Amino acid sequence: MENISTEILRYYDHFVVPFTVGVIVLFTVVIYKYVRWFVKLPRTDKSLVWHGLFTRSTFDACVEVVSESLLHRKIFRVNPILGYMHMSLAFGWFLLIAVGWLEASMQLSGIVPLHAHVFYKFFAEPGANHGVSGEILTNVMDLLLLFVLSGVALAWFKRMRSRAMGMKRATKHTTGDRIALFALWFIFPARLLAESASSGLKGIDSFLTGNIGHWMVSTFGVQNIELFSSVMWWAYSILLAVFFVSMPFSRYMHIFTEIPLIFLRKYRLRSTEKQKSYDHFQVQACSRCGICIDPCQLQADAGIMNVQSVYFLRDRRYHKLTGAVAENCFMCGRCEAKCPVGIELNTLRLNSRAKLFDLPAEGRYSFVKGTDTSSGSGKVGFFAGCMTLLNPKTLRSMEAIFDAAGEEVWWADRNGGVCCGRPLKLAGEIGAAAKMMEYNKSLFEKHGITTLVTSCPICLRVFREEYNLQGIEVIHHTQYIQRLIAQGRLSVEYSGEVFTYHDPCELGRGSGIYDEPRAVITSIGKLSEVSQSRENAFCCGSGLANITISDKGQNKISAALAEKFAETGAKTIVTACPLCKKAIARNTSLKVADISEIVAGRLTVTTNSHLAKSRIEESPLLHVMQ
Amino acid sequence: MDFGFSISRPRAIDLDKNDLSISRNALKKMPEFQACIGCGGCTATCTAGNLTQFNFRKVHTLVRRGDYQNAYDEMNKCMLCGKCRLVCPRGINTRGVAMMIKRLLSEY
Amino acid sequence: MTKKVIIIGGGPAGMQTAASLLEMGIKPTIIEKSDRIGGKLNDWHKLFPSFTPAHEVLESLKQKMKEARVITGTTVEQINNEGVSLNDGSIMEADAVVVASGFNLFRAELKEELGYTIYDNVYTTVDIERMLNEGEVAMKDGRTPQRIAFLHCVGSRDEKVNQRHCSKVCCVTGVKQAMELKGMFPQAEVYNFYMDIRMFGPGYEEMYRRAQEEFNIHFVRGRISEASETIDRRVQIKAEDTLIGRPLKMTVDMLILIVGMTPGESNREFSKTNGIELQPSGFVAPADNFTRNTCSNAKNIFYAGTVTAPKNIGESINEGAVAAQQVAKYLKGL
Repeated sequence: MENISTEILRYYDHFVVPFTVGVIVLFTVVIYKYVRWFVKLPRTDKSLVWHGLFTRSTFDACVEVVSESLLHRKIFRVNPILGYMHMSLAFGWFLLIAVGWLEASMQLSGIVPLHAHVFYKFFAEPGANHGVSGEILTNVMDLLLLFVLSGVALAWFKRMRSRAMGMKRATKHTTGDRIALFALWFIFPARLLAESASSGLKGIDSFLTGNIGHWMVSTFGVQNIELFSSVMWWAYSILLAVFFVSMPFSRYMHIFTEIPLIFLRKYRLRSTEKQKSYDHFQVQACSRCGICIDPCQLQADAGIMNVQSVYFLRDRRYHKLTGAVAENCFMCGRCEAKCPVGIELNTLRLNSRAKLFDLPAEGRYSFVKGTDTSSGSGKVGFFAGCMTLLNPKTLRSMEAIFDAAGEEVWWADRNGGVCCGRPLKLAGEIGAAAKMMEYNKSLFEKHGITTLVTSCPICLRVFREEYNLQGIEVIHHTQYIQRLIAQGRLSVEYSGEVFTYHDPCELGRGSGIYDEPRAVITSIGKLSEVSQSRENAFCCGSGLANITISDKGQNKISAALAEKFAETGAKTIVTACPLCKKAIARNTSLKVADISEIVAGRLTVTTNSHLAKSRIEESPLLHVMQ
Repeated sequence: MDFGFSISRPRAIDLDKNDLSISRNALKKMPEFQACIGCGGCTATCTAGNLTQFNFRKVHTLVRRGDYQNAYDEMNKCMLCGKCRLVCPRGINTRGVAMMIKRLLSEY
Repeated sequence: MTKKVIIIGGGPAGMQTAASLLEMGIKPTIIEKSDRIGGKLNDWHKLFPSFTPAHEVLESLKQKMKEARVITGTTVEQINNEGVSLNDGSIMEADAVVVASGFNLFRAELKEELGYTIYDNVYTTVDIERMLNEGEVAMKDGRTPQRIAFLHCVGSRDEKVNQRHCSKVCCVTGVKQAMELKGMFPQAEVYNFYMDIRMFGPGYEEMYRRAQEEFNIHFVRGRISEASETIDRRVQIKAEDTLIGRPLKMTVDMLILIVGMTPGESNREFSKTNGIELQPSGFVAPADNFTRNTCSNAKNIFYAGTVTAPKNIGESINEGAVAAQQVAKYLKGL
């Protein structure tokens, strides 16, 4: 008993107390949180975990932990310097701990307590680290410290000038974050000074701490440096303690949380429109790096500064989320596409809204029962959606295209229909939205269609993702037209006209449809891409997910977008969403057209369809357009 | 004394008696709500109004006047599709107005 | 030495400016972008509220300014201190410039939901003036309209097309045309859909009342939100009858959009010159709204007519006279 305590006390000094307390608090809180979140996971999520545990997913997750949590590959892609900063801090510190462990294990004897690994230089014997392996280790440790310090220097620089790191705006942090950040900034400089002083006093040679230590001792004298050394070790320990204690309550919780998140994600856990325990892993994995701020057009064009995903997640985590913040977002997905942690930002925002705002659904929309305003019949159904009804050119053009292809069409809502339900759902009223969805679903089933074409990307998403339409293929009209052309059912005249294309958020980032509209355009003319397209495309500012933004704010965003098309040299801006079309048309002198319009305007009569031929005679629209 | 009309609502909009607190709160939250000139474009284009008796303009005007009876249930007929917002010549965030009224009145 | 004055635009305002300058012994040069002077007055049939034929006003203006030098088919691209630069690259020197470049008509096709250029029988007030001048108003297929609807405020007071201002003359234009069409087709029903009727000028209100009482024109308070086409090419419209509080649907033979005024297309370019400022509406801002309506903030640049705001023809002509006086006063001081 006595032996063991002397063994432990061999490597003891009062200054290790803060560090030890910090570590205990940190791990107690972190483990408590994770256990609680895991226990609270719904049964289905838990079973996904158990089923995935002994599969390839676990291995993949390990690989991802290394590449993302340690090496930060995704941030490298945003900006190499920013990536290096994160990597040097995360990977550098990890290696310092790992190699430091090895060094202490080799050089110290007996039972080596945890703190003796961390504060090795303090407990090392005078003249330690002789021999080749010792020298290599101590120099490697110096190199790693330098590596981390370079990251700290960059972090300081970033605070002062975030633009240099490829970010126009850095996150505004909470007090807790600032305390943790302050500690983090000074941990490694303190370590450098403490280790240098000890190295100097103990005559341990190395290129960084050794040399600085020798210089310190020779310049200021042994006594001064002894005092300085003890002050710096205390400082180092206290700074570590401050950081560790603040870690689980600040943004630095992300350091650990990203790891279970990666595993759970690999086991295919996903957030849903209703909040659940898995969300905690996502919310607390946010490092508040602020990469989501720059892509946000609310910030860039409309000057709205407190609603971006980083602030949304922060407010949600600390139970301070207001409806105003949750609702002021188009859910355009530009930030989600850039998030280095891969957090499902849109889904989390959606389920926050549902939690705040879902109203009782009982009796809602009972008036839709039994209505059927549809017309025509055919295996192909066309759902215009509310917004397309305000774009009659699109309706006309689709009519001409269906005619030319000889397609029999069932028009679901030409004379007005029931909304697809997505707008209400985006506002958080999930229960009531389901009533509209049920109505439309049974309408589609009743009319026996096998393909459902819609010209509205908002409707498209909800039909695809939530309607669960058995035996009905849901496609966007860009896809439908592209197929008709590819199958030779529709022939269009090629002209040299130059078009540019705007990717609607719900169609591009939302549904991954980028190529079909481009294929259609290039079969008619040339496509001149705008500077930001595909995954990087801007939002038009009319997204229905934003309930609070004013018309002025919307218009600022659409004006900024419309301006960008001027440099493409195109005379016509093509898009494939009724809302985008109106938003852009409001702010440009160029022609703005739905993709169906440019096709219908260039139809040449096909011979492969007897039906089409006979109909063209009846359709005056085709005459006009030819 | 009973004059025979005490059961039905008073005919006049009585701005002396109406409780305008919710109305004032609403206008404070969204001043643009006051900018309505009553053109009726929203009601004409309304998806829900095409299928049932629902008059967005009338409901929100009544709310502005401090008359909240049935306003919550009426506003719940709105499908939030946003057509009205696209036609409103005053650029009012009509969807925002609809949601705000529902939330202010959900306990009324 | 004779002083050089350039008038940009040969519409009513520019023509009157020239006429008044000539009276004061100054011979100005009008630069007109189209191939004839008269501006949009050339396209109008009769003028409200007196139903005076537009060509009478035009002829009288032409008579008064026939001594002026007129350059047609030429566009002024920029105004600078020495004069103006033209689209052929040349620079024309001037001691004073009067900007009377007018307004543009709102492009009704921007309100796609109203079906202009999509449906056969949706027209603008400009189309109707043209048809009246040609002597025949009819549906696309030549049929006589039995039911006609006018829609006020198309491209005016509409944030959705970034046109916040009231174009002020369209209300009375719509009423005037309603009366003309009712006069042509006494059996037809004519409806005017409006948000507000703004009868600001002398005799306008009286005319409005005549339209109601003598011409039996129906005024419905509600904005048409959408139009669609029926199988027989008529136009179905949707509005709310806001005075009743119920949706209204009707099918008409002709839907006529009463289009508003948008700022002149050259205003933006002109505003790059020192002293020329734009209002948020896009119209040019006069030095003040009371005593210097026709002055810019540059001492030798003046305004007349709708370059500064929507105006009727009488007001534009008045401003031409005032601008001419300001020019003369300025030239005297040189």
